[in-house]
Amino acid sequence: MKTIQFDQLRVVYSNKDGDRIALNGVSLVIGRESIALLGPNGSGKSTLMGVLAGTLTADDGVVHRNYENGLGVVFQTPALDELLTVRENLALAGALHGMTKDAAGSAIVSVADALELTDRLDQQVRHLSGGLKRRTDLARALLPGPGLLLLDEPTSGLDVEARASLWSALDTIRNESEMAVVYATHMTEEAAKADRVVLFADGKIVIDGAPSELIEGLGSSVLRIRLSDEMHAASVVQWSKEIGCPSVSRGKEVLISHAKPEHAGKCPGDPESVTLAAPTLEDVYLWHARSNFSEGLL
Amino acid sequence: MNGMSAAIALGKRELLRQIRQPSRIVASIVTPLLVWVFFVGGFSTAVGGAGQTNTDQNLTAYMIPGVASLTVMFASIFASISLINDRHEGVLRAALISPAPRWSIVIGKVGAGALVAMLQGFVVLAALPFLGVDMSVLGVIGACVGLGLISVALIGLGLGLAWIVDSSQGFHGIMNAVLMPMWLTSGAVFPINDAAGWLKIVAMANPLSWAHSAIRSSLGMPGIEGTPAGLDWLISAAFAGGCIVLATAVMGQASKRR
Repeated sequence: MKTIQFDQLRVVYSNKDGDRIALNGVSLVIGRESIALLGPNGSGKSTLMGVLAGTLTADDGVVHRNYENGLGVVFQTPALDELLTVRENLALAGALHGMTKDAAGSAIVSVADALELTDRLDQQVRHLSGGLKRRTDLARALLPGPGLLLLDEPTSGLDVEARASLWSALDTIRNESEMAVVYATHMTEEAAKADRVVLFADGKIVIDGAPSELIEGLGSSVLRIRLSDEMHAASVVQWSKEIGCPSVSRGKEVLISHAKPEHAGKCPGDPESVTLAAPTLEDVYLWHARSNFSEGLL
Repeated sequence: MNGMSAAIALGKRELLRQIRQPSRIVASIVTPLLVWVFFVGGFSTAVGGAGQTNTDQNLTAYMIPGVASLTVMFASIFASISLINDRHEGVLRAALISPAPRWSIVIGKVGAGALVAMLQGFVVLAALPFLGVDMSVLGVIGACVGLGLISVALIGLGLGLAWIVDSSQGFHGIMNAVLMPMWLTSGAVFPINDAAGWLKIVAMANPLSWAHSAIRSSLGMPGIEGTPAGLDWLISAAFAGGCIVLATAVMGQASKRR
Protein backbone atom coordinates (compact mmCIF):
# COMPACT_ATOMS: atom_id res chain seq x y z
CA MET A 1 0.00 0.00 0.00
CA LYS A 2 1.50 3.28 -1.14
CA THR A 3 1.81 5.92 1.58
CA ILE A 4 3.63 8.62 -0.30
CA GLN A 5 5.18 8.92 -3.73
CA PHE A 6 7.26 11.67 -5.18
CA ASP A 7 8.49 12.10 -8.72
CA GLN A 8 11.40 14.13 -10.05
CA LEU A 9 11.68 16.47 -7.06
CA ARG A 10 14.06 19.32 -7.66
CA VAL A 11 15.05 22.02 -5.17
CA VAL A 12 17.58 24.75 -5.89
CA TYR A 13 18.81 27.18 -3.22
CA SER A 14 19.85 30.54 -4.58
CA ASN A 15 22.01 33.04 -2.79
CA LYS A 16 24.57 35.69 -3.61
CA ASP A 17 27.23 33.01 -4.19
CA GLY A 18 25.11 31.35 -6.86
CA ASP A 19 22.72 28.40 -7.09
CA ARG A 20 23.11 25.11 -5.23
CA ILE A 21 21.09 22.08 -6.31
CA ALA A 22 19.87 20.40 -3.12
CA LEU A 23 17.58 17.84 -4.79
CA ASN A 24 18.17 16.86 -8.39
CA GLY A 25 15.28 14.81 -9.79
CA VAL A 26 14.58 12.57 -6.79
CA SER A 27 11.80 9.96 -7.17
CA LEU A 28 10.68 7.38 -4.59
CA VAL A 29 7.62 5.31 -3.63
CA ILE A 30 7.16 4.67 0.10
CA GLY A 31 4.80 2.02 1.43
CA ARG A 32 3.94 1.12 5.02
CA GLU A 33 7.56 0.51 5.88
CA SER A 34 10.51 2.18 7.51
CA ILE A 35 12.99 3.96 5.27
CA ALA A 36 16.35 5.40 6.27
CA LEU A 37 17.66 8.28 4.19
CA LEU A 38 21.41 7.91 4.54
CA GLY A 39 24.03 10.35 3.40
CA PRO A 40 26.56 12.93 4.54
CA ASN A 41 25.69 16.51 5.49
CA GLY A 42 24.58 18.48 2.47
CA SER A 43 23.54 15.45 0.43
CA GLY A 44 19.86 16.47 0.30
CA LYS A 45 18.29 14.40 3.09
CA SER A 46 17.02 17.30 5.17
CA THR A 47 15.77 19.14 2.09
CA LEU A 48 13.75 16.07 1.10
CA MET A 49 12.39 15.85 4.66
CA GLY A 50 11.41 19.52 4.42
CA VAL A 51 9.54 18.95 1.15
CA LEU A 52 7.79 15.85 2.55
CA ALA A 53 6.84 17.77 5.71
CA GLY A 54 5.54 20.67 3.63
CA THR A 55 7.88 23.26 5.13
CA LEU A 56 9.82 23.61 1.88
CA THR A 57 8.50 24.03 -1.64
CA ALA A 58 10.08 22.06 -4.46
CA ASP A 59 10.95 23.98 -7.61
CA ASP A 60 9.82 21.04 -9.68
CA GLY A 61 8.29 17.59 -9.24
CA VAL A 62 5.16 16.10 -7.72
CA VAL A 63 4.33 14.62 -4.30
CA HIS A 64 1.35 12.21 -4.03
CA ARG A 65 0.19 11.64 -0.45
CA ASN A 66 -1.98 8.73 0.59
CA TYR A 67 -2.11 8.52 4.37
CA GLU A 68 -4.60 9.24 7.14
CA ASN A 69 -4.39 11.45 10.24
CA GLY A 70 -1.75 13.65 8.70
CA LEU A 71 1.93 13.29 9.31
CA GLY A 72 4.08 13.53 12.41
CA VAL A 73 7.47 15.19 12.19
CA VAL A 74 10.39 15.00 14.60
CA PHE A 75 12.83 17.76 13.70
CA GLN A 76 16.57 17.85 14.36
CA THR A 77 15.87 19.90 17.49
CA PRO A 78 12.69 19.40 19.56
CA ALA A 79 9.71 21.50 18.47
CA LEU A 80 8.52 21.94 22.03
CA ASP A 81 7.78 24.95 24.19
CA GLU A 82 10.28 24.75 27.03
CA LEU A 83 8.07 26.82 29.34
CA LEU A 84 5.10 24.50 28.96
CA THR A 85 4.73 21.14 30.68
CA VAL A 86 4.88 17.90 28.73
CA ARG A 87 1.09 17.59 29.02
CA GLU A 88 0.52 21.17 27.81
CA ASN A 89 2.82 20.63 24.83
CA LEU A 90 0.99 17.44 23.90
CA ALA A 91 -2.41 19.08 24.38
CA LEU A 92 -1.31 21.87 22.04
CA ALA A 93 -0.24 19.30 19.45
CA GLY A 94 -3.67 17.64 19.78
CA ALA A 95 -5.48 20.96 19.26
CA LEU A 96 -3.34 21.73 16.20
CA HIS A 97 -4.35 18.38 14.71
CA GLY A 98 -8.04 19.04 15.33
CA MET A 99 -8.40 16.51 18.16
CA THR A 100 -11.14 17.10 20.72
CA LYS A 101 -10.08 17.70 24.32
CA ASP A 102 -11.24 14.22 25.36
CA ALA A 103 -9.56 12.49 22.41
CA ALA A 104 -6.33 14.39 23.03
CA GLY A 105 -6.53 13.59 26.75
CA SER A 106 -6.75 9.83 26.22
CA ALA A 107 -4.12 9.94 23.44
CA ILE A 108 -1.76 11.77 25.82
CA VAL A 109 -2.19 9.06 28.46
CA SER A 110 -1.64 6.32 25.89
CA VAL A 111 1.41 7.83 24.16
CA ALA A 112 2.99 8.87 27.47
CA ASP A 113 2.59 5.31 28.69
CA ALA A 114 4.17 3.87 25.53
CA LEU A 115 7.13 6.27 25.75
CA GLU A 116 7.50 6.03 29.55
CA LEU A 117 6.67 9.69 30.09
CA THR A 118 3.73 9.29 32.46
CA ASP A 119 5.72 10.51 35.48
CA ARG A 120 6.92 13.56 33.58
CA LEU A 121 3.60 14.80 32.20
CA ASP A 122 3.34 17.75 34.58
CA GLN A 123 6.99 18.75 34.41
CA GLN A 124 8.07 21.77 32.37
CA VAL A 125 10.06 20.70 29.31
CA ARG A 126 13.01 22.96 30.26
CA HIS A 127 13.63 20.72 33.29
CA LEU A 128 13.92 17.51 31.21
CA SER A 129 17.15 15.87 30.01
CA GLY A 130 17.99 15.89 26.30
CA GLY A 131 16.82 12.29 25.92
CA LEU A 132 13.49 12.96 27.63
CA LYS A 133 12.95 16.04 25.48
CA ARG A 134 13.42 13.88 22.38
CA ARG A 135 10.95 11.30 23.69
CA THR A 136 8.49 14.09 24.44
CA ASP A 137 9.00 15.41 20.92
CA LEU A 138 8.37 11.93 19.55
CA ALA A 139 5.20 11.74 21.68
CA ARG A 140 4.11 15.07 20.18
CA ALA A 141 4.61 13.74 16.66
CA LEU A 142 2.84 10.45 17.44
CA LEU A 143 -0.12 11.94 19.30
CA PRO A 144 -2.61 12.17 16.41
CA GLY A 145 -1.68 8.64 15.24
CA PRO A 146 -0.13 9.82 11.96
CA GLY A 147 -0.04 7.67 8.85
CA LEU A 148 3.49 8.88 8.12
CA LEU A 149 6.20 9.71 10.64
CA LEU A 150 9.21 11.75 9.52
CA LEU A 151 12.30 11.96 11.71
CA ASP A 152 15.13 14.28 10.73
CA GLU A 153 18.30 13.01 12.44
CA PRO A 154 16.30 12.36 15.61
CA THR A 155 19.27 11.22 17.70
CA SER A 156 21.70 14.03 16.91
CA GLY A 157 23.21 15.37 20.11
CA LEU A 158 22.02 12.44 22.24
CA ASP A 159 24.31 10.20 24.29
CA VAL A 160 24.42 6.43 23.67
CA GLU A 161 21.86 5.58 26.34
CA ALA A 162 19.36 8.24 25.25
CA ARG A 163 19.80 7.12 21.63
CA ALA A 164 19.13 3.49 22.50
CA SER A 165 16.11 4.50 24.56
CA LEU A 166 14.65 6.53 21.68
CA TRP A 167 15.10 3.71 19.16
CA SER A 168 13.61 1.21 21.57
CA ALA A 169 10.56 3.44 22.03
CA LEU A 170 10.26 3.91 18.29
CA ASP A 171 10.47 0.14 17.67
CA THR A 172 7.69 -0.45 20.20
CA ILE A 173 5.45 2.11 18.55
CA ARG A 174 6.19 0.77 15.05
CA ASN A 175 5.35 -2.79 16.05
CA GLU A 176 1.96 -1.63 17.32
CA SER A 177 0.96 0.50 14.33
CA GLU A 178 0.96 0.45 10.55
CA MET A 179 2.44 3.84 9.97
CA ALA A 180 5.25 4.46 7.53
CA VAL A 181 8.44 5.84 9.04
CA VAL A 182 11.01 7.85 7.12
CA TYR A 183 14.11 9.02 8.93
CA ALA A 184 17.24 10.86 7.88
CA THR A 185 20.53 9.84 9.41
CA HIS A 186 24.23 9.80 8.68
CA MET A 187 24.83 6.85 11.02
CA THR A 188 24.93 3.47 9.29
CA GLU A 189 23.99 1.53 12.46
CA GLU A 190 20.77 3.56 12.66
CA ALA A 191 20.07 3.11 8.96
CA ALA A 192 20.50 -0.67 9.35
CA LYS A 193 17.35 -0.78 11.52
CA ALA A 194 15.16 0.26 8.55
CA ASP A 195 13.30 -1.96 6.10
CA ARG A 196 14.91 0.04 3.28
CA VAL A 197 17.95 2.24 3.02
CA VAL A 198 18.11 5.05 0.48
CA LEU A 199 21.59 6.45 0.01
CA PHE A 200 21.89 10.10 -1.05
CA ALA A 201 24.77 11.88 -2.74
CA ASP A 202 24.81 15.38 -4.22
CA GLY A 203 21.02 15.65 -4.20
CA LYS A 204 20.44 12.32 -5.95
CA ILE A 205 19.48 8.81 -4.86
CA VAL A 206 22.54 6.61 -5.40
CA ILE A 207 21.14 3.32 -4.20
CA ASP A 208 17.91 2.02 -2.69
CA GLY A 209 17.26 -1.37 -1.12
CA ALA A 210 16.89 -3.50 2.00
CA PRO A 211 20.02 -3.38 4.18
CA SER A 212 20.62 -7.12 3.71
CA GLU A 213 20.31 -6.80 -0.10
CA LEU A 214 22.72 -3.89 -0.18
CA ILE A 215 25.21 -5.76 1.97
CA GLU A 216 24.90 -8.91 -0.17
CA GLY A 217 25.73 -6.73 -3.18
CA LEU A 218 29.35 -6.60 -1.92
CA GLY A 219 29.68 -10.40 -1.81
CA SER A 220 30.53 -12.53 1.19
CA SER A 221 33.75 -10.67 2.11
CA VAL A 222 35.38 -7.31 1.53
CA LEU A 223 39.06 -6.43 1.70
CA ARG A 224 39.91 -3.13 3.36
CA ILE A 225 43.41 -2.11 2.40
CA ARG A 226 45.31 0.82 3.86
CA LEU A 227 48.42 1.74 1.87
CA SER A 228 51.59 3.41 3.05
CA ASP A 229 51.47 5.76 0.07
CA GLU A 230 48.59 7.02 -2.08
CA MET A 231 50.64 6.39 -5.25
CA HIS A 232 50.23 2.61 -4.80
CA ALA A 233 46.43 2.82 -5.04
CA ALA A 234 46.39 2.52 -8.83
CA SER A 235 48.39 -0.73 -8.75
CA VAL A 236 46.04 -2.23 -6.13
CA VAL A 237 43.00 -1.26 -8.22
CA GLN A 238 44.67 -2.83 -11.25
CA TRP A 239 45.35 -6.01 -9.22
CA SER A 240 41.68 -6.16 -8.11
CA LYS A 241 40.68 -6.14 -11.79
CA GLU A 242 43.09 -9.00 -12.47
CA ILE A 243 41.56 -11.15 -9.71
CA GLY A 244 38.06 -10.24 -10.96
CA CYS A 245 36.93 -8.21 -7.92
CA PRO A 246 35.45 -4.69 -8.16
CA SER A 247 37.18 -2.00 -6.12
CA VAL A 248 36.95 1.66 -5.14
CA SER A 249 39.73 3.83 -3.78
CA ARG A 250 40.13 7.20 -2.12
CA GLY A 251 43.46 8.46 -0.89
CA LYS A 252 45.42 5.69 0.80
CA GLU A 253 42.41 3.40 1.17
CA VAL A 254 41.12 0.76 -1.24
CA LEU A 255 37.99 -1.31 -0.73
CA ILE A 256 37.66 -4.58 -2.70
CA SER A 257 34.33 -6.43 -2.80
CA HIS A 258 33.63 -10.13 -3.46
CA ALA A 259 37.07 -10.92 -2.03
CA LYS A 260 38.23 -14.42 -1.11
CA PRO A 261 40.40 -15.33 1.91
CA GLU A 262 43.39 -16.18 -0.31
CA HIS A 263 43.43 -12.62 -1.71
CA ALA A 264 44.29 -11.14 1.69
CA GLY A 265 47.96 -12.17 1.61
CA LYS A 266 48.62 -11.30 -2.02
CA CYS A 267 47.85 -7.60 -2.06
CA PRO A 268 50.52 -5.53 -3.87
CA GLY A 269 51.48 -1.93 -3.11
CA ASP A 270 53.14 -2.15 0.31
CA PRO A 271 49.93 -2.16 2.38
CA GLU A 272 50.03 -0.94 5.99
CA SER A 273 47.04 -3.09 6.85
CA VAL A 274 44.76 -5.56 5.09
CA THR A 275 41.46 -6.63 6.67
CA LEU A 276 39.15 -9.29 5.31
CA ALA A 277 35.67 -9.25 6.82
CA ALA A 278 32.01 -9.83 6.08
CA PRO A 279 30.59 -6.63 4.56
CA THR A 280 28.52 -4.25 6.65
CA LEU A 281 26.23 -1.36 5.79
CA GLU A 282 29.15 0.92 6.55
CA ASP A 283 31.06 -0.78 3.71
CA VAL A 284 28.07 -0.23 1.43
CA TYR A 285 28.03 3.42 2.44
CA LEU A 286 31.78 3.84 1.88
CA TRP A 287 31.62 1.95 -1.40
CA HIS A 288 28.97 4.22 -2.86
CA ALA A 289 30.37 7.28 -1.15
CA ARG A 290 33.72 6.78 -2.83
CA SER A 291 32.05 6.06 -6.15
CA ASN A 292 29.57 8.92 -6.17
CA PHE A 293 30.22 11.67 -3.65
CA SER A 294 32.06 14.80 -4.54
CA GLU A 295 35.31 15.31 -2.59
CA GLY A 296 33.86 18.11 -0.52
CA LEU A 297 31.29 15.84 1.09
CA LEU A 298 33.77 13.34 2.48
CA MET B 1 -10.34 20.98 11.13
CA ASN B 2 -11.50 23.44 13.76
CA GLY B 3 -9.20 26.40 13.28
CA MET B 4 -10.62 28.26 16.26
CA SER B 5 -9.63 25.45 18.66
CA ALA B 6 -6.09 25.64 17.32
CA ALA B 7 -6.12 29.44 17.63
CA ILE B 8 -7.36 29.26 21.22
CA ALA B 9 -4.72 26.64 22.10
CA LEU B 10 -1.97 28.77 20.56
CA GLY B 11 -3.31 31.88 22.35
CA LYS B 12 -3.35 30.00 25.65
CA ARG B 13 0.23 28.96 25.04
CA GLU B 14 1.27 32.60 24.49
CA LEU B 15 -0.42 33.65 27.74
CA LEU B 16 1.18 30.79 29.69
CA ARG B 17 4.57 31.86 28.35
CA GLN B 18 3.87 35.41 29.50
CA ILE B 19 2.88 34.26 32.98
CA ARG B 20 5.82 31.87 33.38
CA GLN B 21 8.47 34.45 32.59
CA PRO B 22 8.74 36.72 35.64
CA SER B 23 10.94 39.19 33.77
CA ARG B 24 8.23 39.70 31.16
CA ILE B 25 5.59 40.24 33.86
CA VAL B 26 7.81 42.76 35.62
CA ALA B 27 8.65 44.52 32.32
CA SER B 28 5.00 44.60 31.24
CA ILE B 29 3.99 46.34 34.48
CA VAL B 30 7.06 48.49 35.14
CA THR B 31 7.39 49.91 31.62
CA PRO B 32 3.96 51.56 31.49
CA LEU B 33 4.29 52.62 35.13
CA LEU B 34 7.59 54.35 34.41
CA VAL B 35 6.11 56.00 31.34
CA TRP B 36 3.15 57.02 33.49
CA VAL B 37 5.26 58.51 36.29
CA PHE B 38 7.70 60.39 34.06
CA PHE B 39 5.12 61.75 31.66
CA VAL B 40 2.68 62.77 34.35
CA GLY B 41 5.41 64.11 36.65
CA GLY B 42 7.47 65.73 33.93
CA PHE B 43 4.80 67.27 31.78
CA SER B 44 2.49 68.37 34.59
CA THR B 45 5.38 70.47 35.96
CA ALA B 46 6.22 71.76 32.51
CA VAL B 47 2.69 72.82 31.55
CA GLY B 48 1.53 74.06 34.89
CA GLY B 49 0.15 71.33 37.09
CA ALA B 50 -1.94 68.24 36.94
CA GLY B 51 -4.95 69.91 38.45
CA GLN B 52 -6.16 71.54 35.24
CA THR B 53 -9.57 70.36 34.24
CA ASN B 54 -9.68 71.75 30.71
CA THR B 55 -8.48 68.78 28.67
CA ASP B 56 -8.02 70.94 25.58
CA GLN B 57 -5.24 72.77 27.33
CA ASN B 58 -3.91 69.99 29.55
CA LEU B 59 -1.03 68.63 27.49
CA THR B 60 -0.28 65.89 29.96
CA ALA B 61 -3.79 64.52 29.77
CA TYR B 62 -3.73 64.98 26.01
CA MET B 63 -0.63 62.84 25.70
CA ILE B 64 -1.76 59.96 27.89
CA PRO B 65 -3.67 58.11 25.11
CA GLY B 66 -0.61 58.54 22.89
CA VAL B 67 1.65 57.20 25.61
CA ALA B 68 -0.74 54.29 26.09
CA SER B 69 -0.54 53.53 22.38
CA LEU B 70 3.27 53.76 22.53
CA THR B 71 3.22 51.16 25.31
CA VAL B 72 0.91 49.03 23.18
CA MET B 73 3.24 49.47 20.22
CA PHE B 74 6.26 48.16 22.14
CA ALA B 75 4.26 45.24 23.54
CA SER B 76 3.05 44.43 20.02
CA ILE B 77 6.59 44.45 18.61
CA PHE B 78 7.60 42.11 21.43
CA ALA B 79 4.67 39.80 20.67
CA SER B 80 5.40 39.56 16.96
CA ILE B 81 9.18 39.20 17.17
CA SER B 82 8.77 35.86 18.96
CA LEU B 83 7.67 34.46 15.60
CA ILE B 84 11.25 34.61 14.27
CA ASN B 85 12.69 32.33 16.96
CA ASP B 86 9.53 30.26 17.09
CA ARG B 87 9.73 29.47 13.39
CA HIS B 88 13.30 28.24 13.51
CA GLU B 89 13.46 26.53 16.88
CA GLY B 90 10.17 26.47 18.64
CA VAL B 91 6.76 24.97 18.64
CA LEU B 92 5.71 26.94 15.57
CA ARG B 93 7.44 24.45 13.27
CA ALA B 94 5.05 21.81 14.58
CA ALA B 95 2.14 24.20 14.03
CA LEU B 96 3.19 24.88 10.47
CA ILE B 97 3.22 21.22 9.47
CA SER B 98 -0.08 20.50 11.27
CA PRO B 99 -3.43 20.67 9.46
CA ALA B 100 -4.29 23.82 11.45
CA PRO B 101 -4.98 26.68 9.03
CA ARG B 102 -2.44 29.49 8.97
CA TRP B 103 -5.04 32.00 10.04
CA SER B 104 -5.43 30.12 13.32
CA ILE B 105 -1.72 30.68 14.04
CA VAL B 106 -2.17 34.38 13.29
CA ILE B 107 -5.31 34.66 15.41
CA GLY B 108 -3.72 32.79 18.33
CA LYS B 109 -0.61 34.99 18.33
CA VAL B 110 -2.52 38.22 17.73
CA GLY B 111 -5.28 37.47 20.25
CA ALA B 112 -2.95 36.72 23.15
CA GLY B 113 -0.48 39.46 22.23
CA ALA B 114 -3.23 42.07 21.90
CA LEU B 115 -4.74 41.09 25.26
CA VAL B 116 -1.40 41.59 27.03
CA ALA B 117 -0.68 44.83 25.15
CA MET B 118 -4.16 46.16 25.90
CA LEU B 119 -3.71 45.50 29.63
CA GLN B 120 -0.43 47.40 29.59
CA GLY B 121 -2.09 50.28 27.75
CA PHE B 122 -4.87 50.28 30.32
CA VAL B 123 -2.32 50.80 33.13
CA VAL B 124 -1.22 54.02 31.38
CA LEU B 125 -4.81 55.18 30.83
CA ALA B 126 -5.38 54.83 34.55
CA ALA B 127 -3.39 58.09 34.90
CA LEU B 128 -6.20 60.15 33.39
CA PRO B 129 -8.42 60.52 36.50
CA PHE B 130 -5.37 61.96 38.29
CA LEU B 131 -5.11 64.57 35.55
CA GLY B 132 -8.65 65.76 35.89
CA VAL B 133 -10.22 63.70 33.14
CA ASP B 134 -13.47 62.03 34.15
CA MET B 135 -13.68 58.55 32.66
CA SER B 136 -16.90 56.59 32.39
CA VAL B 137 -16.85 52.79 32.39
CA LEU B 138 -18.01 52.80 28.78
CA GLY B 139 -15.34 55.32 27.91
CA VAL B 140 -12.62 53.13 29.42
CA ILE B 141 -13.97 50.06 27.60
CA GLY B 142 -14.03 52.04 24.34
CA ALA B 143 -10.46 53.26 24.86
CA CYS B 144 -9.28 49.73 25.61
CA VAL B 145 -10.98 48.46 22.46
CA GLY B 146 -9.18 51.21 20.54
CA LEU B 147 -5.85 50.16 22.04
CA GLY B 148 -6.73 46.56 21.24
CA LEU B 149 -7.33 47.49 17.59
CA ILE B 150 -3.95 49.23 17.45
CA SER B 151 -2.32 46.16 18.94
CA VAL B 152 -4.10 43.75 16.58
CA ALA B 153 -2.99 45.84 13.62
CA LEU B 154 0.61 46.18 14.76
CA ILE B 155 1.01 42.51 15.71
CA GLY B 156 -0.52 41.50 12.37
CA LEU B 157 1.90 43.83 10.59
CA GLY B 158 4.76 42.50 12.73
CA LEU B 159 3.92 38.87 12.06
CA GLY B 160 3.88 39.49 8.32
CA LEU B 161 7.25 41.21 8.55
CA ALA B 162 8.71 38.59 10.91
CA TRP B 163 7.78 35.92 8.38
CA ILE B 164 9.81 37.67 5.69
CA VAL B 165 12.74 38.97 7.73
CA ASP B 166 15.08 36.30 9.03
CA SER B 167 16.82 38.13 11.89
CA SER B 168 15.46 39.87 14.96
CA GLN B 169 17.89 42.76 14.39
CA GLY B 170 16.52 43.33 10.90
CA PHE B 171 12.98 43.06 12.21
CA HIS B 172 13.61 45.69 14.91
CA GLY B 173 15.23 48.04 12.43
CA ILE B 174 12.35 47.88 9.97
CA MET B 175 9.61 48.00 12.62
CA ASN B 176 11.15 51.08 14.26
CA ALA B 177 11.64 52.77 10.89
CA VAL B 178 7.97 52.21 10.04
CA LEU B 179 6.21 52.47 13.39
CA MET B 180 7.95 55.43 15.06
CA PRO B 181 7.08 57.86 12.24
CA MET B 182 3.55 56.41 12.24
CA TRP B 183 3.23 57.05 15.97
CA LEU B 184 4.79 60.53 15.84
CA THR B 185 2.45 61.68 13.06
CA SER B 186 -0.67 60.11 14.56
CA GLY B 187 -1.59 62.93 16.88
CA ALA B 188 -0.03 61.14 19.84
CA VAL B 189 2.11 64.14 20.80
CA PHE B 190 0.34 67.05 19.08
CA PRO B 191 -3.26 67.78 18.15
CA ILE B 192 -3.89 66.99 14.48
CA ASN B 193 -6.68 69.53 14.25
CA ASP B 194 -4.19 72.36 14.84
CA ALA B 195 -1.35 70.89 12.77
CA ALA B 196 0.23 72.57 9.73
CA GLY B 197 -1.32 71.73 6.34
CA TRP B 198 1.18 69.15 5.10
CA LEU B 199 1.44 67.50 8.50
CA LYS B 200 -2.32 67.28 8.73
CA ILE B 201 -2.43 65.50 5.37
CA VAL B 202 0.22 63.02 6.52
CA ALA B 203 -1.65 62.48 9.79
CA MET B 204 -4.99 61.94 8.06
CA ALA B 205 -3.38 59.30 5.83
CA ASN B 206 -2.01 57.51 8.88
CA PRO B 207 -4.35 54.79 10.20
CA LEU B 208 -2.97 55.19 13.72
CA SER B 209 -4.32 58.78 13.79
CA TRP B 210 -7.83 57.43 13.45
CA ALA B 211 -7.29 54.91 16.21
CA HIS B 212 -6.07 57.73 18.47
CA SER B 213 -9.09 59.75 17.49
CA ALA B 214 -11.38 56.84 18.43
CA ILE B 215 -9.66 56.43 21.80
CA ARG B 216 -9.83 60.15 22.56
CA SER B 217 -13.49 60.33 21.57
CA SER B 218 -14.26 57.45 23.94
CA LEU B 219 -12.56 59.36 26.75
CA GLY B 220 -14.46 62.56 26.02
CA MET B 221 -11.47 64.26 24.40
CA PRO B 222 -11.55 65.84 20.97
CA GLY B 223 -10.78 63.45 18.11
CA ILE B 224 -10.22 64.35 14.45
CA GLU B 225 -12.70 67.11 13.77
CA GLY B 226 -14.88 67.60 10.71
CA THR B 227 -15.31 63.94 9.85
CA PRO B 228 -18.43 61.75 10.07
CA ALA B 229 -19.10 60.16 13.46
CA GLY B 230 -17.75 56.61 13.67
CA LEU B 231 -15.35 57.03 10.77
CA ASP B 232 -12.39 56.76 13.15
CA TRP B 233 -13.68 53.41 14.45
CA LEU B 234 -14.37 52.17 10.94
CA ILE B 235 -10.88 53.02 9.69
CA SER B 236 -9.25 51.56 12.84
CA ALA B 237 -11.17 48.30 12.51
CA ALA B 238 -10.43 48.09 8.78
CA PHE B 239 -6.71 48.68 9.46
CA ALA B 240 -6.66 45.93 12.10
CA GLY B 241 -8.58 43.53 9.84
CA GLY B 242 -6.37 44.39 6.87
CA CYS B 243 -3.21 43.65 8.86
CA ILE B 244 -4.61 40.27 9.96
CA VAL B 245 -5.43 39.38 6.35
CA LEU B 246 -1.95 40.54 5.29
CA ALA B 247 -0.24 38.42 7.98
CA THR B 248 -2.31 35.36 7.03
CA ALA B 249 -1.51 35.84 3.34
CA VAL B 250 2.21 36.27 3.97
CA MET B 251 2.39 33.30 6.35
CA GLY B 252 0.42 31.24 3.85
CA GLN B 253 3.37 31.31 1.49
CA ALA B 254 5.48 28.16 1.81
CA SER B 255 9.05 29.00 2.69
CA LYS B 256 12.11 27.98 0.71
CA ARG B 257 14.49 28.80 3.50
CA ARG B 258 16.25 26.22 5.58
